[in-house]
Amino acid sequence: MKVRLEKAFPMPASADAAWALLQVIAGVASCMPGAKITEQVDATHYKGTVALKVGPASLSFRGEIEVKSLDASTRTLHLFAKGTDTTGSSAASMDLTARVDAQDANSCSLAGDSEVSMSGKAASFGARLMGPVSEQVLGQFAANFAARLKQAPPQAGAAAPAPGAAAPAPEAKPLNALALAWAVIKGWLRALFTGKRA
Amino acid sequence: MSQTAELKEREDKLQGMGTSLLRKEDAKFIRGQGSYIDDIKLPGMLFGAVVRSPYAHARIKGIDKAKALACPGVVAVLTADDLKPVNLHWMPTLGGDVQAVLADKKVCFQYQEVAMVLASDRYAAYDGAALVEVDYEELPAIVDPKKSMAPDAPIIREDIQDKKEVGHGPRTHPNHIFTWEAGDKAAADAAFKTAEITVREEMLNPRVHPCPLETCGCVASFDKPTGYLTVYMTSQAPHLVRTVLAMLSGIAESKIRVIGGDIGGGFGNKVPVYPGYVVAIVASIVTGVPIKWIESRIDNISTTGFARDYHGVGELAADKDGRIKGLRFSALADHGAFNSHVSATKFPAGLFSICTGSYAIPNAYARVDAVYTNKAPGGVAYRCSLRVTEAIYLIERMMDVLALKLGLDKAEIRRRNFVRSDQFPYTTSLGWTLDSGAYHPALEKVLKAVGYEGLRKEQAAKRADPKSPTLMGIGISTFTEIVGAGPTKVCDILGVGLFDSCEIRIHPTGGVIARLGTMSQGQGHATTYAQIIATELGLPAADIVVEEGDTDKSPYGAGTWGSRSTPVSGAATAMAARKIKDKAKKIAAHLLEVSEGDLEWEIDRFKVKGNPSQAKTMKEICMVAHTGNLPAGMEQGLNAVTYYDPPNLTFPFGAYLCVVDVDKFTGEVKVRRFYALDDCGTRINPMVIEGQIHGGLTEAFAVAMGQQIPFDENGNHLGNSLMDYFLPTAVETPKWETDHTVTLCPHHPLGAKGVAESPHVGGIPCFSNAVIDAFAHLGVTHMDMPHSAWRVWQQCNTLGVNKR
Repeated sequence: MKVRLEKAFPMPASADAAWALLQVIAGVASCMPGAKITEQVDATHYKGTVALKVGPASLSFRGEIEVKSLDASTRTLHLFAKGTDTTGSSAASMDLTARVDAQDANSCSLAGDSEVSMSGKAASFGARLMGPVSEQVLGQFAANFAARLKQAPPQAGAAAPAPGAAAPAPEAKPLNALALAWAVIKGWLRALFTGKRA
Repeated sequence: MSQTAELKEREDKLQGMGTSLLRKEDAKFIRGQGSYIDDIKLPGMLFGAVVRSPYAHARIKGIDKAKALACPGVVAVLTADDLKPVNLHWMPTLGGDVQAVLADKKVCFQYQEVAMVLASDRYAAYDGAALVEVDYEELPAIVDPKKSMAPDAPIIREDIQDKKEVGHGPRTHPNHIFTWEAGDKAAADAAFKTAEITVREEMLNPRVHPCPLETCGCVASFDKPTGYLTVYMTSQAPHLVRTVLAMLSGIAESKIRVIGGDIGGGFGNKVPVYPGYVVAIVASIVTGVPIKWIESRIDNISTTGFARDYHGVGELAADKDGRIKGLRFSALADHGAFNSHVSATKFPAGLFSICTGSYAIPNAYARVDAVYTNKAPGGVAYRCSLRVTEAIYLIERMMDVLALKLGLDKAEIRRRNFVRSDQFPYTTSLGWTLDSGAYHPALEKVLKAVGYEGLRKEQAAKRADPKSPTLMGIGISTFTEIVGAGPTKVCDILGVGLFDSCEIRIHPTGGVIARLGTMSQGQGHATTYAQIIATELGLPAADIVVEEGDTDKSPYGAGTWGSRSTPVSGAATAMAARKIKDKAKKIAAHLLEVSEGDLEWEIDRFKVKGNPSQAKTMKEICMVAHTGNLPAGMEQGLNAVTYYDPPNLTFPFGAYLCVVDVDKFTGEVKVRRFYALDDCGTRINPMVIEGQIHGGLTEAFAVAMGQQIPFDENGNHLGNSLMDYFLPTAVETPKWETDHTVTLCPHHPLGAKGVAESPHVGGIPCFSNAVIDAFAHLGVTHMDMPHSAWRVWQQCNTLGVNKR
């Protein structure tokens, strides 16, 4: 079960500020609903967890993140994450390329292109919801990312801060299923009435 | 009281063959007092939960049990390594292959059994199972069987990679299981070369699952001091299972007892031996305490005996009048990761060679290629006598395809090709001898009952009216089934012939106990067999007790599947009763001081010819048989046992007609009418038959209209819960109209044939034929099942009929 998502979100900060934040993997992870970095293995490898509850499937993934590349010239981050559900009944992987595109001094755009692949129970149960759920997760991620940018804008042009130097990550909470469901339904209704089926 | 009234009263009292006696077994079921496997609780029993693979194809790099073992209530975690010392990490299948009991270094399908956690209760077992950490290395999976034999295809079964055959002839690729052929290829090819008309169509019988209400499970109890193994399990074939267990475990077969209990539906799903049973048994042998293992719904749908997955190609050659000259059918069979497809040794593709159906086809050739894929093993299940559904689907659909090509009516094409009543016994070009049939009268009776001409006129009017919101389709299916496996000269499983048995014991006051090698899963055996004995012996069915499923009690038999109970065990029952009747006659002659030749049988007694006041009732004879007042040299008792080896299979048939209305705008298919005429020979209990037909038609409706097990490209199962898998309820199920004709089976002692599978086998193509007929005037020759609203709407949309 694979789903590919391409999305761009406007960000209320300069491209350099957003790029600076994007390089702090722990910070980026904490913007992901339910996600948390638990260990940095080396310069490019991390371990982390993601808790997710969709309908009857309650999933707690633990896995590894590998930062494949950080390209300052194009402000592009490429990472690969894979993990298994702690009950061993599901597995997932994500290949993500995120890029910051400059707009003006106080705004930029965060563009993400990801391919998420799932197997096991998550694929069996979640298949029909995977597209909309992934979109909602990304939407929440973008909102958190934007909030964080506003809250503590890193210095423009600053070098990538040392790992762990970012503000302490808010406590990871499992993705709220009810709010998520509502967002999915809203998204679906909107698509329906604009004639654009998800 | 007049004499006829008196006779009728005596006959009615027996409730024998031909009466719709209410089912004797239902008293407990309607009170909720059946006893299923999960109702069994033994002292000290542990519960086993299976750890399953999330991947369809992966290497196991390690299994860490530590966290699971630390979980409260968990007693042990078993993996393949734990089963190796007793050599039970692999087991033979009923298809000549081997199957991993617990995955040995590699998993080959999603949800494959990797470990079993034993704990003090079910919840602790599941909690423990969630804590077993398995390190996998994912491998590319084969989901599409058409890619299995590609030169660069990943090898699924490394364990048999170098084997030249796995039970059924030479293999040409590591993912190849067998190639099976029947008929004369050269003759068929020649018929196609010279034919005036040929048609060809590809059609899929998708992977489906019978999804019985009760999932599979067992309670295994090994008694260390005596060395006795008792297994309560959901099995349609307890004796065969006991034989397999003896072969597997090395325990003497006399020290193994398999008990079936009540079974909540089987439909073939409960014939094979599953890894869960074996692990539970090993665990009990190791721990010395009883182990219970019960599948969840997801386990059941995703890992145990699925059905079909035949990718068929049908070809017919005919003259311009529609008389068929040649048939070539082939199928690519997706057997999943292990060949656990239950098959008689000589029939790896089951009875697929019945694919000439009800028609006289002079030249035929059939071929099935079976391959491994990264999917669950199985293929035999679902109310079908071993691949008959796939065969009949092909021929019944191809008859329509041929009719369409010739512009002939779909009833007429059948009339022109039927085996005529005067041709029986008729040997088909693929080698089966159809013992009896009356196909023309059956079809005509149905056409008359539904007003066929009128329906076709209505359809023509609808087709001519562009404003009609619906498309009307009429489907016909005139099938011949092949059931009652079977003659031991051609049918065996693991070397054991497919005979069956009945033992009858009669007590002094006329109470009867009958024990059989079959196993009811809802078929009403306790009633049907009792009625056979009632008629044969003149003792009331109410006093006849039928017992099955306990291997310590009943004589050996191959179980209940493939509609074999009435054809084989029903015959055994009649033959055993007749042995008793012969002895009773001798006693009667002795008591009445006449010769046996002077006696005649009348309902429940022997009477002296010409002197009807001189008679002995069976009930009187029962008592006398237990006294010393017997003919010289005769032993006491009225007991008999019969092992019945049928001379041929039985060939029930039917004519079905279905009328559907397809909503052009939503694709929804409404079944307006379904008329089913079945001929199963002698009708033992008409109500039980009616119930079987209703059930079979409902399951045919389920398969045709909504059931399918889909997978994604990585081998993820995308429909293993009742959220996705279609089980029709009374809300969706159409009304069934049933009818019958009676053509006796010439070789069965009662003239009876099997019936339970006919409606499934004949019903599925009838639905498909109806749906496709709705589109026939638009040039559509075939649509694959399931005919769900979404898929039918896509057809409407492609054709543009949903535009106003």
